[in-house]
Amino acid sequence: MIDKFKAKFVEESLDNVNDLEEALFALENDMQSKDLIERIFRAMHSLKGGGAMFGFNHLSDFTHHLENIFDKVRNDKLDVTPDLISLTFTAVDEIKFLLDKGDLSEKDDLDAYRAFMAQIQDFYESGGNVRAAATPEEATPVLDDGENTYLISFVPREELLQNGTNPLFLLDDLHALGEGFSIVYTHKVPTFEPLEAESNYCLWQILLTTKESLNEIKDVFIFVEDECDLSVEEVCKGGFEINTDIKKLISNARNANSLIKVSDLKILLKKDDPVADEVEKKEKEEKEQKKKKQFKEHKISSIRVASLKIDELVNLVSELVTVQAQLSVYAEKKGESDILSLAENVQKLSRQLRDNAFEISLIPMQSELMRFQRLVRDLSKDLGKEVDFVIEGGDIELDKNIIEHLTDPLLHILRNSVDHGIEMPEERVAAGKSPKGNIYFKAYHAGANVLIEVTDDGKGILVEDIRKKAVSKGIIDDAAELSDKEILNLVFVSGFSTRESVSDVSGRGVGMDVVRKKISEIRGEVSIDSDAGQGTTITLRLPLTLSIIDGLLVRVVNNQYVIPISSIEKIFALNPGQLKNSFNKVVVIDNEQIPYVDMRDVFKEEKTGVEVPQMILVKHDDKRLGLLVDEVLGEYQTVVKPLGRYLKTHEVVSGASILGDGTISLVIDTNRVLQLSSSGKFKGKKKEEL
Amino acid sequence: MLENSYSTLLSFKIHDEFFALDAMRVNHILEVPEITRIPNTPSFMIGVLNLHGNIIPVVDLRLMMGFENVEFTNDTAVVVINPEEQQDSSLGLIVDMVREVVETEGLEIKPTVADKEESMLKNFHGTFSMDGQFVHIIDIEELVAAAEM
Repeated sequence: MIDKFKAKFVEESLDNVNDLEEALFALENDMQSKDLIERIFRAMHSLKGGGAMFGFNHLSDFTHHLENIFDKVRNDKLDVTPDLISLTFTAVDEIKFLLDKGDLSEKDDLDAYRAFMAQIQDFYESGGNVRAAATPEEATPVLDDGENTYLISFVPREELLQNGTNPLFLLDDLHALGEGFSIVYTHKVPTFEPLEAESNYCLWQILLTTKESLNEIKDVFIFVEDECDLSVEEVCKGGFEINTDIKKLISNARNANSLIKVSDLKILLKKDDPVADEVEKKEKEEKEQKKKKQFKEHKISSIRVASLKIDELVNLVSELVTVQAQLSVYAEKKGESDILSLAENVQKLSRQLRDNAFEISLIPMQSELMRFQRLVRDLSKDLGKEVDFVIEGGDIELDKNIIEHLTDPLLHILRNSVDHGIEMPEERVAAGKSPKGNIYFKAYHAGANVLIEVTDDGKGILVEDIRKKAVSKGIIDDAAELSDKEILNLVFVSGFSTRESVSDVSGRGVGMDVVRKKISEIRGEVSIDSDAGQGTTITLRLPLTLSIIDGLLVRVVNNQYVIPISSIEKIFALNPGQLKNSFNKVVVIDNEQIPYVDMRDVFKEEKTGVEVPQMILVKHDDKRLGLLVDEVLGEYQTVVKPLGRYLKTHEVVSGASILGDGTISLVIDTNRVLQLSSSGKFKGKKKEEL
Repeated sequence: MLENSYSTLLSFKIHDEFFALDAMRVNHILEVPEITRIPNTPSFMIGVLNLHGNIIPVVDLRLMMGFENVEFTNDTAVVVINPEEQQDSSLGLIVDMVREVVETEGLEIKPTVADKEESMLKNFHGTFSMDGQFVHIIDIEELVAAAEM
């Protein structure tokens, strides 16, 4: 999950980086512009903050140092110079690299990173006066110190000791100049017989890293110059490490009764050899190029488009689908094979185009999830509760317009979960639960819908409480027989609020009724499930896209209506006899009792003619209902258009669609028919209601 | 008298009286096209029409004004207004006849006196006289509020 956030962060940061680069280019032309400096500072600041939040620690650190420089600039303590600008440009590249790589782990990268950091720090302290426009390579700390490594070959004569010279003191003096490594050769030491105690048989080679000059080193031996052969040669810049290769070289030399050759040593230490450096530099550049390349390829895989353009595309495609339907109708009427096949092709293409366009308008949920996490975190802190918030299915994609409509209801639901659902830690322990509450946020596909479940393991809801409350508020009749689930879902009825006093948290003027209203505006459904003591689950059922549905076109008296196929289970042709005896509006099909409503009753139409009606069985959750219609006309793919604000609150019709011939058919919201039917709204009331 | 921001008015006839509204809010004037009835709505909401692919609800202004005789004639027209900038606020109004566009400059607009008891619209912006006829200026905000269910 965190990877998803990171990806999002990187995407956003790239915008910031682009902005930064743009501002830098502008700053190059106008070095005095306060606005530009401010803009650069802001971009860096967001990179820094975001980096720290998403675990890009190196990025955050790096940007922090860079920001310090610009803080100085901002406060007029530092002038904008070309050096500063080129330093910052290089830094921008490093930022891109860090964005791509995350925290560095490879040694090479780390070294370069540290060196660059040091350089920035340096610039910050010196104001860029000391070393202008230094490149990262030059800034490597080992090189900075001006240290060199020398190989000192000290071959004393045998008489050395006779003057009272102790060669070990000379070695000590050498070591005082810097970091040294002494190699002693004893191959000249004779066997015991000819050995003279007052003679010196040892030779030394010393590898010394020092800032002192060659002459300084030679000065150590000034008093023994005549009693020894001395050579001091520079072998490399910077320091050295006694690695296995050098050890091997030493033992080889010892075995061969000779000394290490300077040339051999130079090869081994070539890492820091200026000539070899060149080669390495090239390699490094190549590597960097590669990195950059990778980075660019990565970037091209997606583009950002203004959402308005996508809206327009989707609208145009919707129009096209409508016109295509008209063409099909026309071709059908003409019956000419040429036109028919043309129409078919257009249909195929427009269908593909439509699918494509709608896919484009889908965005993953995760864009909003950050807000939810913040809410849960902040709120639980405020309330002194401990909550673990687990998100699953953040990559589920939904129409951008749906997601926009979804945020507020979900925030409210989460607020409720934290505020009312999860108990205080003490209460939880007393109830035998862990002190930390859990809230699960789960999104997944289910057929043509996306389901979102918000589950908490809090105290749940007592069905009896809801019932009492609903009765006292006059929402239901005391005698009403309702299932637990139906009672629970009364919380969505307007005028119902489970808390006596409106709390700061959940009571921001919106209750669960508003949640339901908002969700149904995007053709979604909301339901609640709860076990007292165990927790509560709120489920949102949402359509994938808003504007196109597969629908069944039906006729009721003189009007045509569209019923979304997604909610249809079966279609039956009924015998006239089947309805005759069903005074309680239940029809028996396959030994099952199915309640039904006559759509003519629903629409308060005159019941003319005694045609054999057809029944469309619609289903929602565990409720089923038969809708009697006069005729089923066929299946259509239709663009659902809103009815506008004047008809928004219509109880059964949720939209309209334009048919192939330009006429309008209304889209029936079957879920609302189900709800209204189960509340008895259509039973024998049609006379008194107008 | 209300301060009027409009400079032109569209006048039309309902029954045998004349009314007008801000011409700048009028988008289209149509012959009565096919209108799809919407069940379970107040009687003045006569349905929706298809205007270039957009669904526009239509109210019968004559019924809203409390007139009974609602036969459509050749003169009957739909005036499509867009009270607010948003698309979803478009509304079609059935009137008996569209008359003309009137410049308000130089018009003597007096407070509207007579109100029809049955009318859903009571708050007129004023009345002026034209060719010996009284013309009442409709308050579009009130009209929109009344049309919302």
